Amino acid sequence: MDIAEIPPIVTASLVSYTRLTEARKAEIVAQLSAILGARYVLHSPYDLMLYEYDASIERGKPDIVVLPASAEEIASIVKLARRYQIPIVPRGAGTGLSGGAVPIHGGIVIVFARMNRILDVDYANLRATIQPGLVNLHLSLALNPHGFYYVPDPSSQRSCTIGGNVGENAGGPHTLIYGVTTNHVLGLEIVTAEGEIVQVGGNGLDTPGYDLTGLLIGSEGTLCIATKIIVRIVRMPEAVKTMVAVFDDMDDASNTVSEIIASGVIPAAIEMMDQMILQAVEEATHAGYPRDAAAVLLMEAEGLQETVAEQIEQIVSICEKHHARTVRIAATEAERQLLWAGRKNAFGAVGRISPEFYVQDGVVPRTKLPYVLRRISEICESYHLRVGNVFHAGDGNLHPLILFDSQVPGEIERVRQAGHEILHVCAEVGGSITGEHGVGLEKQEEMALIFSEVDLRIMQQVRTAWNPQQTFNPGKLFPRPGLCADIKQL
Amino acid sequence: MIGEITTLVHTLQQTLPPARLITDLDALRGYPIDGLLPGLVTIPNTVEEAAQIIAAAHEQHLTVMARGGGSQTNLGGLAERIDVLLQTTRLDSLLEHEGPDLTCQVEAGITLATLQEHLRTQGQRLSLDPPGASETTIGGILATNASGPKRLRYGTARDLVIGMRVVQADGEIARSGGRVVKNVAGYDLNKLYIGSLGTLGIIVEANFKLHPLPQSERTLLLSYARVEDAMQTVIKLMGSLLTPSALELIDTGAANDMADLFGVSLPTSGYTLAVNVEGSRATIARQIEETRSLARQEHALLGEEMEGPEQDHFWDTVREHTQGTLTCKTSVLLTQVVPYLTMLQEICNRYQLESASIAHAGNGVIYTELRPGDATSRLLAAITELRRYLDVLGGVLVIERCPVEMKRLLSIWGEPKGDFRMMQSLKQQFDPQGTFVRGRFLGGL
Repeated sequence: MDIAEIPPIVTASLVSYTRLTEARKAEIVAQLSAILGARYVLHSPYDLMLYEYDASIERGKPDIVVLPASAEEIASIVKLARRYQIPIVPRGAGTGLSGGAVPIHGGIVIVFARMNRILDVDYANLRATIQPGLVNLHLSLALNPHGFYYVPDPSSQRSCTIGGNVGENAGGPHTLIYGVTTNHVLGLEIVTAEGEIVQVGGNGLDTPGYDLTGLLIGSEGTLCIATKIIVRIVRMPEAVKTMVAVFDDMDDASNTVSEIIASGVIPAAIEMMDQMILQAVEEATHAGYPRDAAAVLLMEAEGLQETVAEQIEQIVSICEKHHARTVRIAATEAERQLLWAGRKNAFGAVGRISPEFYVQDGVVPRTKLPYVLRRISEICESYHLRVGNVFHAGDGNLHPLILFDSQVPGEIERVRQAGHEILHVCAEVGGSITGEHGVGLEKQEEMALIFSEVDLRIMQQVRTAWNPQQTFNPGKLFPRPGLCADIKQL
Repeated sequence: MIGEITTLVHTLQQTLPPARLITDLDALRGYPIDGLLPGLVTIPNTVEEAAQIIAAAHEQHLTVMARGGGSQTNLGGLAERIDVLLQTTRLDSLLEHEGPDLTCQVEAGITLATLQEHLRTQGQRLSLDPPGASETTIGGILATNASGPKRLRYGTARDLVIGMRVVQADGEIARSGGRVVKNVAGYDLNKLYIGSLGTLGIIVEANFKLHPLPQSERTLLLSYARVEDAMQTVIKLMGSLLTPSALELIDTGAANDMADLFGVSLPTSGYTLAVNVEGSRATIARQIEETRSLARQEHALLGEEMEGPEQDHFWDTVREHTQGTLTCKTSVLLTQVVPYLTMLQEICNRYQLESASIAHAGNGVIYTELRPGDATSRLLAAITELRRYLDVLGGVLVIERCPVEMKRLLSIWGEPKGDFRMMQSLKQQFDPQGTFVRGRFLGGL
């Protein structure tokens, strides 16, 4: 088809969504049941409740929830939704922190619980083809006996799905050397907003044309529905050494991180936890984290034995130079796993010290860490809120955890304000408003802190090209029209 | 067109006195793109000037193409019309090098070699090693998605770019990504612009994540009588605990070229596998040792080692080999390399053509020089058969360099696939008026 034959698309500036009437809903349920089978179409209020929320603080009621088994079924669902102008919200495990899976305009939520298999593993060619509903850790567990694994390991990997990872371009603690999801996905099979099944990317590298795979990853469910994912798999490293360095001063810990990177050593992971988090984590996990330290660095070196030994030596010497109280290298695999369990369960552990908490996600240049951590402390203090910090110090990706109690009047509002100011600081120092959790519903307005009106308009051209009616996950990612003015005033 | 170009020149002369404009026909002959001369060459001094030029061209419904060092302008199909050539070489500033953060920001007209020189002063580098580092500009590398042997370990531009500024069809400058190494805010437009050959926007600035320079580097050369043995070594290495930075498979034809043209002597029968490792001395010694022993199991013959200037010269030569008269770039899976090279041999024999191939063996990317470059009908037939074979394998063959006449007879990118419609939609949104030159990209986009 000649490009001149494609009709020009005009942006739907404000797409409006009206809830389905009972009659219309019944019609659609019947049609979906014909496609999927009635038991895979949920529509009673009781069944729908589970799908109103994810791991963020947002909520939205779906009209219908479906559990398809194939790309063809999904294509039919999309075509049906298009006819009736119903939004579609793809949902992985619902562990997202930015509201990506929350159906704020209602519509049909697509759940991938029945599309969760490993379809093929090709060890010689270092790739695997999987379905989007596959739990992240399950892939690595399946590959481990052969000495391989799938690298991106978000902290929620025991529950989150790779389809969800693709939607958010998920990261985790090991992204410093190895990158994020987009560096480990080779191709996709997708269903487009028009209900077509398209193969994107391919067998070999550098396929001619635009890098659609790269553009689609991290698009937060607004451009396509992934139905098959081709991932890169790699050999597990020969040696892994995990160590803990304890500091009596937060700045010492931050400066240690900067110097390690600057010295040319790039550890596989550098995680930082401050006192508040340490106390919660130690209560919960008893991993041996000191409750009275100002900050702890959890670091990992992996690779060949020789490389690991050299790196650890270098890291230890830099820690000591910056007044580390103690430096301990995990002696056994069990000890190692416990240290990581402590870190990966940090969010859960915080539940012990506060009824609720709000996780922020921002990125700053590493060298700005000490300044930004101080500002976060000041901001939260000014709102009379307690804050703990656990984060991927190696790539400057912060996760302040703001503790609160929603029973206290006005507290939620102060939390949102504090969160917003923290993102402001991240933007000010040349960072980003999200390192891995995504924009979703949480940070739509803050997009204006790091992107100009022109930047956002150009970005939205992609959605106009592929999802002009905004059928997929509407109301997410971009600032809602008319609200931008508020941001500039703050 | 002449009228619009005159108007454009007039406009530019009013608003941009410092920008150099080349309108004289003799001078324009210095800027052919596949034999086609642009109507006007502009050489902006700043990013803002570049944007103004594009805005003005857009207003006059003229077409624009960017040119950096000119080393990759042969890539792509035939342009329909080039009204304005935007020469980017004056946009050559290193804007920032945040050493402790391992990031940098550059203007797109800086050459790779110049950038690397700057970064070296703080013991760092951009881990991209395409050919022609002293001529090729960052913008050119990104627009063509150029890469080199070390992509095996460090990836390509898409894995190293963290942000960009790109001039749109109407002259607006838009930012994508940012300045930090981890960032998921918004759509990843960096990925879209990389490799887009200037069809969606002209890259004027780019931000990268950097790596520390390795402590040391060594290259091991292994010789094989049979390509099966060489590739079996590659497959084993890729599945092993070892972490080579590059694995290049060099056939007889390429070995002969390297000897004749660059004085690099390799065995001129059979296959050479060049294994590059980086790291500390202890790590390298271990990797070389284990590679040798693994290779011996696959009947490898010799095992010379190189470092220092000899090593540098070797790899420069390897990179330059991809810049021949008729170079095809084939992408297949690792396990398909041997079947493909076997088929290539067979087809070349049948059509009385010679081939010389160097592959990024661990990536399944094969660069093949076909000769003689003027045997047009035989070359077309051979390439057509190769592409048919690759269709079955799910691989692709792109003709990266060839005589201009051949471009009229054969699509250099191959046929667009099922996702082409999505690409067309993007082009329609980003450049509805066709301000960026048409005809060079996949499907004529």
